[in-house]
Formats: sequence, C-alpha cells, structure tokens
Amino acid sequence: MFPGVDGFHWTFAHIIFLSLFFTVLLIILGTLAMAAINTARDVRQGRATEIAWKAEFAQLPEAERRCRHELAGRLAHRVCPNAFDCRHCSEYAHYAALPARNEANTLGLSYPDNRFYHRGHTWVAPEGDGTLTVGLDDLAARLIGDPDTVELPPEGAEIQSDGMAWRMIKNGHTIRVRAPIDGAVVETGGPEKGWYLRLRPHGTLDLRHLLRGPEVAPWLAREIERLQLELAPPKTGPALADGGVLVAGLMDAMPEADWDTALAGTFLEA
Amino acid sequence: MASAVLTDRRWIARGVERASTSRFALWLAPWVAMLAVGIYATGLCLYYGLNQTNMDNRFAFGLWIFLDLSVIALGAGAFFTGFLVYILGRTDLKPILNAAVVLGFICYSGAVAVLMVDVGQPLRAWFTFWHPNTHSMLTEVTFCISCYLLVLALEYVPVLLRNRRLRKEPSAAVFEYRLHHLVPVLAGVGTFLSFFHQGSLGGLYGVLRGRPFAFREGFSVWPSTFFLFVLSAIAAGPSFLILVTATVEKLTGRPQVPRELLQRLGFLSGVLLGAYVAAKSIDTMIWLNVTTPSMGFAPWEYYAYPPFGSALLFIEIILFGLVPAGLLIYPKTARNRRWLLTGAALACCGILLNRFVLTVQTLALPTLAFDEFLHYTPSWQEVATFGALIAYGVIVFSLSYRYLPLFGQEKQEAANVSGR
Repeated sequence: MFPGVDGFHWTFAHIIFLSLFFTVLLIILGTLAMAAINTARDVRQGRATEIAWKAEFAQLPEAERRCRHELAGRLAHRVCPNAFDCRHCSEYAHYAALPARNEANTLGLSYPDNRFYHRGHTWVAPEGDGTLTVGLDDLAARLIGDPDTVELPPEGAEIQSDGMAWRMIKNGHTIRVRAPIDGAVVETGGPEKGWYLRLRPHGTLDLRHLLRGPEVAPWLAREIERLQLELAPPKTGPALADGGVLVAGLMDAMPEADWDTALAGTFLEA
Repeated sequence: MASAVLTDRRWIARGVERASTSRFALWLAPWVAMLAVGIYATGLCLYYGLNQTNMDNRFAFGLWIFLDLSVIALGAGAFFTGFLVYILGRTDLKPILNAAVVLGFICYSGAVAVLMVDVGQPLRAWFTFWHPNTHSMLTEVTFCISCYLLVLALEYVPVLLRNRRLRKEPSAAVFEYRLHHLVPVLAGVGTFLSFFHQGSLGGLYGVLRGRPFAFREGFSVWPSTFFLFVLSAIAAGPSFLILVTATVEKLTGRPQVPRELLQRLGFLSGVLLGAYVAAKSIDTMIWLNVTTPSMGFAPWEYYAYPPFGSALLFIEIILFGLVPAGLLIYPKTARNRRWLLTGAALACCGILLNRFVLTVQTLALPTLAFDEFLHYTPSWQEVATFGALIAYGVIVFSLSYRYLPLFGQEKQEAANVSGR
C-alpha cells in the first residue's frame, strides 16, 4: 500500500485515510511528547516539588482542604483553591479583614502564639539573626513520641515549601514531614533539641501561608476530631469525646491502631 | 486490625480499606490458574496453528470474534464516559472515570491479544499496517483499535502514577499532573477513533453481500449496522460500568460511588438503549421487507434453523432492549438498586446476543442452494483462550482496584458510612 511497496498507486481513498490516520497518530504522540517535555522543564526549573504538592493536595479529602478563614470562623464554608499557599490567594486580604471567632482553647496542647503553624504539623519561629527554626508541633510530637530514626537533610541543602523536610521512622512507619517554608538548611537539630531544622529563607520573608492566632485552635480541634475517628477501633461509630489531654507517645500506647491512615492524614498525604 | 495483615499497605492509598494480603492472594489464585491454562492453549494455537480451533475456511469467525466484538462494545464505557466528562462537561461522572478507563484498557488490550492469536500468524500482524486494503472495514478497525489502545494506555498512565508509592517520586507526580492536564485531548481523539471503529465493526457485517442475513443498505459507504453498532456500544458501555461497580461494591461490602451516580449512568444508558431499539426496529423492518426480498430470500428462512428461531430476534429487541431501557429510564425502577442492576444486566446481555447472532448465525445460515446449515462448537483451546481474557480482566481490575484510585469518591463514601 505504501510508496515503495509493489503495486502501490495513490488513490483518493489512500490520501483521505492516511491523512486522517497520521493526523490522529501525531496528536496522540504529540500529547505524550508535550507531557514529557513539560515534565522535563518543570523538573529542570525546580518546580517538581510544587507541582507534586498541588497534585497531592487535589487528592486530599475535602474536609482537609478547608480554608484557614473557615477555620477562624470568618467564613461559613470555603475549600482552599491554592494548595494552602495564601501568598498567591487573591481573596486573602479581603477575608483576613473579617472578624475571627475568639477561640483560644488548644485542648491542653502547647501552641505558643509567637510561632507560625503549617497544616502538615510543623511550626516556624523567626530568630533574631534572620534564620527560622522549624520543628514538629505538639500534636505531632505527642503522636510520635520518640522516633526510632530521624533522617535530616545535610547543612546547605535547599528545602522547598511543602516538599519533604525530613523523614522519621517510628514502629516501622515512615513519616515524611513537609517543609513549612523555602530555605537553605544552616543547622540541624532533632527531637532532643525541640526543633529539627534551622533555615535561612530566600528573599523577603513571607509567612502569610502559615496559620496563626485565632486560626490555630479551631484547626487543632478538627485535627483531633479526625484522629479520634481514624484511631477508633474498626466498626466503631462516631462517639463524643470524653475530654482529657492527648498523651505523649500515642503510637506506643496504641500500637494496634490504624496508624497508616492517621499518620498520612496528619502529614498531608492523600 | 486491618493494617497488621496488609503487608502491602504502603502501596495502598491512605484511608481506604482493602482485603488482607492473604485473602487477596486467595481471590487471585483461581484467576491466575485460569489465565495459565489459557496461555497454554494460546501457546498451542500459536505453535501448531489454527488447526487447534474448530474454525475452518467457511466458519472463519467463531468464539474469539464474538468475544472481541463483545468486549469492545462493553469497553465503550471508557470513551463515552471520557466524552461526557471532558467534552460535554458532565463532571458529575468524574468519580467513575478512572474505573471506566481501566475497564476500557482491559477490554481493548484483551481484544487485541486475542486477535493476535486469531490472525493465525501473529508475526505477520504488521502486514495489516503496511499492506492495508483501504476499501476494507477491517482496515479501519485495525488502525483505529491500535490507535485507541495507545490512547487508553496513555489515559491509564496517570491513574497508575497516582499509586501511593509512585506518587512520592516528584518527577512521576509531575508527569502524572502534566499528562492528566492533556487527557481532554486524548478523550477527544478517543471519541473520534471509537466512533469509527465501533461503527466499522458493524459495517463489516453490513457490507457482506454474500451473507443476506447480515447485509444491510445504508448511507453512502456505511451500512445501517455501522450506526447501530455505535449506538448499541454507547448504550451498553455505561451499563457494563454499572455492573462492574456494583460487583465491586458487593464483593468488598463497601459503597464506591454515590448511588445517584449509578442512576444517572443508568438513565443515560436507558435513553441510548431506547434510541437503539427504535433504530434497530426500523432497520429490521426495512431489512425483512425490502432488503431481503430484493436479494431473493424470504425472511422466514433465516429463522428456520434451530436454535436460531425468530424468538432470538424478539429476545434481542424486546427482552434485552425495550425492557432494560424502560427499567433504566423509569424513575421508580431506576431508584431501586435491584431493578437498576437488572436493567443494566439485560442491556449487556442484549449486546452479547446481538454480537453473537451477527457473528455465528450469519456464518451458520446457508446462502446458496447447495449450502447446508453449518455447525460450529469451539475447541477447548478456543474456550481456554476466551477464559484467559476474562481472567486477565479480573486480575488487572483487581490489582488496579487494590492499588490505584479507581473510584474517585471511595474515601468520601467510606467517610459517609463511618460518619467521619
């Protein structure tokens, strides 16, 4: 049929058929090539972490994608459209000006006001020398207790917001902690120091995407509610909380619970 | 607790319940055995040739072609759902899209695999691309199915890359993200290709002048069977998707999609089935009263050879056509899960019967004065290959369900049940 094949001669049918076929084939292969080229470009430009996070964020349950302003009572209902990055939210200033609900009960957990909190349960504290310390918040620290292994990035490593900051292993579960902010690692700590990383941020410091003030307590209340349901024995219906404070080292205290689900939810894994 | 016996938990999405690893292995075991027997039978066919089958030069289409036509029609849910979601903007059907894609991929890859055995000399399969006959409906089918399988494979890749472990590799996540954004293009191409190959599969029979049972008049180069095949495939595809989803729900004991979604899908299927029944009825009347007499045949001759009696025609049009269309459209029956599933099952049976009749009855009936009614019973190798395709489908779908997000709202449905 094709040129070069014995007995081949062009007909109108050949032209129509082959034109359509090769157009379709080109579109299919072009689509694949475009996806590959865009991927290579994104990886080369260091956008892989950001895109991977956005894709992951889109897969999170809706209940875990609520806008900070909903948490603070400024809005009745809003799902975050910006993967928790309020720095690129056109509505941020408008909603932030609305009155927040004054709820300060952090349920017996320690959430100092001078820290900024990431939804992946890390905190950021600005230091006097322009660096930032990053640590696990009290809820995450109480869940994990003493990690079996901590793998911290080397000094000088570049950390990207929402990418992996460090990794911990506890009772066979690998925990990937998301970075709350971009920066270069200038010093590493650990659980014994109360903080894990000291970062030097790039450019002007902008912490707008992190929770603070009246947003923290309602967020925490929802997180504890989620944990109660995820850690409840299977086939158990919802029950009223009976009060009390989260014990330290909950993973050791409840080894039989579904920690895979609970840890994934705590550290923003879809 | 569940996590204690799930040795592959790290590969399974968070927040979803799956059977223990040992139970899952037990579920797969008989299907793997069935696949192994089928692969052995296929090996015999490839090594010794098509003499391992009970087909011959006169009965050249048998169980395998019936199977191919059926799975390709049932797999139409993939392109049709993609068309509805991406081209018509029916985003409410998105939670079932991944399952439709995987189902389509299984159907088409399985059909192509069986075709490779059916051509007898698979090493010469490339001839169809290099020496195609542009006047043959089969050429169009070959080209379109090959391209569409490529499309389905590309649509399957983003679903695969959403696996919990694979997603942790940032470059894989980026590729998934980028490819996913281009899926509407693939959905458009898939619709174009599917329209033509579904149609050409029907056209293939409609142009058989030497087989009056199948021959039909039509529009330009396309006989009426071209359009009937397209319509019946897009009617039955969603019904098959409903059945598969309901089977998964039954086996796992958990809801996978909102109940209304299955009803909406059923309604679409019912409306299209109704349109198909109307078109098929008109086509049958023209065929029996105009086409057949013009070729020197009397319509009753077609149905004079048991078991192919005229009851088959009524079963196909009324029991497997009009009845399921009514069950799927009428709100009271569509709201009842049992009736909804009955309607979907009957619609799928209808497409199987239609493809069976056109493949087997067409060839079995005598066409010349000295012809006899032909009998054909598939050999065990044909049946085993048939079984292998079904086993392959069950295995791929089971693995996909276990490790990939097939049903977009599974977590939400689980949360609704548990009150989370």
